[in-house]
Amino acid sequence: MKEKIAQLIEQAKQAVKQSHTLALINSVKVKYLGKSGELTQLLRGMKDLPPEERPLVGKYVNEARDVITQITEDKTKQLEQAEIDAKMLEESVDITLDGKAEERGSLHPCTLVTNEIVEIFTSLGFTLGEGPEIEFDKFCFQMLNIPPDHPARDMQDTFYITDDVLLRTHTSSMQARTMIKTQPPIRIVCPGKVYRPDDDATHSPMFQQVEGLVVDENVTLCDLKGLLETFAQRLFDKNTKVRFRPSFFPFTEPSVEVDVTCSVCHGKGCRICKGTGWIEILGAGVVNPKVLENCGIDSKKYKGLAFGMGIERTAMIKYGIPDMRILFENDVRFLKEFK
Amino acid sequence: MKVSLSWLKDFVDIDVDVETLADKLVGAGFEVEEIIDAGANMKNVVLGKIVELEKHPDADKLQICQIDVGGKELVQIVTGAQNVSKGDLVPVAMDNSLLPTGQEIKKGKLRGVPSNGMLCSGEELKLTESEYVGASVHGILIMNGEKYPLGTDMNVVLGNDDVVLDIGVTANRSDCNSVLGIAREVATVLNKTLKMPDVSFETDKSVKVSDIIDVDVEDKELCPRYMAAAVSDIKIQDSPEIIQKRLKSVGLRPINNIVDITNYVLIEIGQPMHAFDKNYIEGGKIIPRRAKNGEKIVALNEKEYVLDDTMLVICDVKKPCAIGGVMGGLNSGINDKTNTIIFESAKFLRDNIRRTSRKLNLHSDSSFRYERGIDFDSQRLGIMRALSLIYKYGFGKIADGLIDKLSQDLTRNKVETSVEEINGILGIEVPKDTVLNILNSLQIQSEIDKDGKLTCVCPAFRDDIENANDLAEEVIRLYGYDKVKSTLLKGGNQTLGGKNRQEKNIDVLKDICVYHGMSEILTYSFTTPKSFDILKLSQDDARRNCVKLLKPLGEDLSVMRTTLAYSMISTLASNCLKSNKKAKLFEIANVYLPQTSDMSQLPSEVNTLALGRYGEGEDFFTMKGIVEVILKKFGLNGEFKRADISYLHKGRSADIYVGKNLIGYLGEVHPEVAKSFDVSERMYIAELNVDMLNKLDDCSYEFVAISNYPPIERDIAVVVDESVLAGDLLACVRKGGGNLLVDAKIFDIYRNKEVLGENKKSVAISLVFRLAERTLTDEEVNAKINRILSKLSSEHNAVLR
Repeated sequence: MKEKIAQLIEQAKQAVKQSHTLALINSVKVKYLGKSGELTQLLRGMKDLPPEERPLVGKYVNEARDVITQITEDKTKQLEQAEIDAKMLEESVDITLDGKAEERGSLHPCTLVTNEIVEIFTSLGFTLGEGPEIEFDKFCFQMLNIPPDHPARDMQDTFYITDDVLLRTHTSSMQARTMIKTQPPIRIVCPGKVYRPDDDATHSPMFQQVEGLVVDENVTLCDLKGLLETFAQRLFDKNTKVRFRPSFFPFTEPSVEVDVTCSVCHGKGCRICKGTGWIEILGAGVVNPKVLENCGIDSKKYKGLAFGMGIERTAMIKYGIPDMRILFENDVRFLKEFK
Repeated sequence: MKVSLSWLKDFVDIDVDVETLADKLVGAGFEVEEIIDAGANMKNVVLGKIVELEKHPDADKLQICQIDVGGKELVQIVTGAQNVSKGDLVPVAMDNSLLPTGQEIKKGKLRGVPSNGMLCSGEELKLTESEYVGASVHGILIMNGEKYPLGTDMNVVLGNDDVVLDIGVTANRSDCNSVLGIAREVATVLNKTLKMPDVSFETDKSVKVSDIIDVDVEDKELCPRYMAAAVSDIKIQDSPEIIQKRLKSVGLRPINNIVDITNYVLIEIGQPMHAFDKNYIEGGKIIPRRAKNGEKIVALNEKEYVLDDTMLVICDVKKPCAIGGVMGGLNSGINDKTNTIIFESAKFLRDNIRRTSRKLNLHSDSSFRYERGIDFDSQRLGIMRALSLIYKYGFGKIADGLIDKLSQDLTRNKVETSVEEINGILGIEVPKDTVLNILNSLQIQSEIDKDGKLTCVCPAFRDDIENANDLAEEVIRLYGYDKVKSTLLKGGNQTLGGKNRQEKNIDVLKDICVYHGMSEILTYSFTTPKSFDILKLSQDDARRNCVKLLKPLGEDLSVMRTTLAYSMISTLASNCLKSNKKAKLFEIANVYLPQTSDMSQLPSEVNTLALGRYGEGEDFFTMKGIVEVILKKFGLNGEFKRADISYLHKGRSADIYVGKNLIGYLGEVHPEVAKSFDVSERMYIAELNVDMLNKLDDCSYEFVAISNYPPIERDIAVVVDESVLAGDLLACVRKGGGNLLVDAKIFDIYRNKEVLGENKKSVAISLVFRLAERTLTDEEVNAKINRILSKLSSEHNAVLR
């Protein structure tokens, strides 16, 4: 009997070995382990054995069932795994084909620069200021210490709509707009479109500026330098240096042009900075007390710092764009360079 | 302002090289735009004389010249020119010389004969006929009896031996629009003493100026000071060479001795001068007065100008003889027969000259200086300087006395402040003595009293200085901006900073657009009035009412846009025409809507989002999808109603409403509009009022528990007329479903004449019912579905399929 069982196990092993599909292995299971399978038959035949032999044979049969169950299950798992692998192999894709998400669009390079500037200043406690593009002469000029027929009017040609209404020539008009309705401390940046009748490779009749204004007690020209240095180091890189050169704006006194070390050559001199190592990026100054008084702010108590910069020019420096007109052509191939 | 180095040296001892000088001027606030060394591009070209001339033995057209260039030996040069003869003075380019054309000359042989240089033509020296008479002649430039010794560098002969600085003078420094003014700054930065111009002369005591001319200032407001002098027995001739040379160096053309002196004083002192021919001053009287409306004058430029009563004219008893401060009249100008002249040296009201000059569109060196401002001290200095030049060169007899009609007190600006206040502006500690030294070196008389009060009295030419800030600028520009340290608002108050919700919403809008594949464009705010016609706007369309520029750069940029549609369509079209297969674009910009026709109220500026797309896969619904995403971001439910917009496709356009507010539109561009841009591609655009989106903004996040109970999903299909809109069906379904219905979507539309009948469609709708607090029963859902079907039937004649 023991030999018969051992033989049976050996037969089952052979059968499992030869089963190459799940269906075959199932039939092997049925043949040996099923209700009318070989082992069941053996158990049924136990009643014909002498009682003292029965426990031993029962043990053999149970051991055989365990062995056969184990090998069929192993084989089943193996075949199932193979089947999944085969299916996946069949389903494999060319992973070098393009992904399916919609292509991302892009922000205009001028917006990228504006966003960066605004982000720097808002993190330094500035909020955004606002004012109209079509503006009264009063806010664009007169309150900023540029009376009618003043020679400083020649600094900026102007598009007029009536004698009294014009397209703002600078974002400085928003200084006046803010100061007449807000008491210090004031810290604002005002990005916006401005207009002057010029049209060539470095001038556009419409362009953008960002204006900044601080009005507070105890602020000085040194604070202006520190503020602009922090700004320039964040906009360009942390080693950027700032230089003041004397200049003139009617609404600031003292007035300065602000140069930063060239971000391309780091001051050594290159094509971008025309060999000087410096790039002019800003106009700035201490707000003329006459402007504070014009706007209803006590110039004995408060002082102001102001600065302004051109967005297009900064974008051209930052991204190496040679001609301002490219910024207004809106060719998608150009725009997508800023994805 | 152009100023030559040699002229500056008349007034200040300059002992540094020109580059150092330029750097110092820049440091003090005077931008040196250019250093013009006219002689730098011509080297080793000298004055020579042809002493022998013979034919070349082997060439008919060549001549061999022996040239005397002042040395011991003659120089042999072979020339091809035919216009030279023995004894001629000629420019000689020696061996190893450089011509202004960039050409380098070296010795060589011509047909076997050694030639040690080249004779030059006017063209090769880049001279024009107006610069040197005879320069345009074909052939060698024959010099006219030059008095320079042979061998003199041609740069000296031609007056190119001076260096000219082109200096940017800012609008506040009108005192520096002169050689003297710049010299004053140079003296300060170099720490030298300023030498004043020579104003000495002697008069002819037998003749009084008052015998020759009288001045009666009728308008003292426009003409606060008028000085006059008279010179008789004048012989009109060319100016001395130094005057001619200096005028040329700053770009002025020499005319005759008298006119040149007025120009010389204008450049040197900054005081505009005028000379009248006394013969043409009728009644012996000069009367500065307002012009009469319609009064006419022919100016020295031979053009006639019609004047009005805002303008100042300088008249005799009968007629206007000059437009005050702007230009003299042709009728009284200096000519070859002039015998007696009247010099004018006046101060006119600054703003008035600017207005007159702009109104007449007539600009001159005089008007430029008057517009910027002339101080009260200049008139006397100017007229004395002019007379001293007359005296020095013996051009005529100076009548005794000066006429000086002054109708204002001469005041000096006085500022009272303290060193502490100045340092408080600068943020650094400039020592008291340094402050005093700097201010006094600028001729600002400054002193500090025992209480620390700093009193500054400004010279007449510095009437731009009015307060402590002005003084702080004077101190720091000479003390050095490099001494300003960096501090970060250390004394300031704390502020919060950051963007507000509306400002952040704009950023979010842009992000949505970018993540939907769109690139931001930047277009001009001004547009062409033709855009309204191209968009086929009706004549009474409100968008035709636009803001117009008085002097636009051109018709195409003459009005402020009232819609972004035109620029968006034309940008799509321009991309299309550049063979870009697709474009997805957006722009956020203002449109400008006039409020009142007289602009007493500013136009309203409405921030607007424009979207535009074309290319494969684009249709009405791709655009609508983006609009819906945007509305959802603002927490809004849009209602899309069929639109009637002239530039959009009638069947594929919609107005977008939020409640009763029309917030924009979307649609396909009308094929005829597309065609007017030469585009056949279907383009889709949308415009949304961003200000209104911000106003309606209803986006807030609040936690709502999600249901753990299962949903019941059902599909229904109803047959309706083709004209029934899907949106209306869904609205009806939602009404019928009540709060149990959490979702309803159309998932199929089926058309088949045979099965459904003519003009019918079957619309399949999936419905999801769910409650948060318990499981729904079939009975409840069935009741709702019946309600939905009966509503669909009564409102849209829908039949369950």
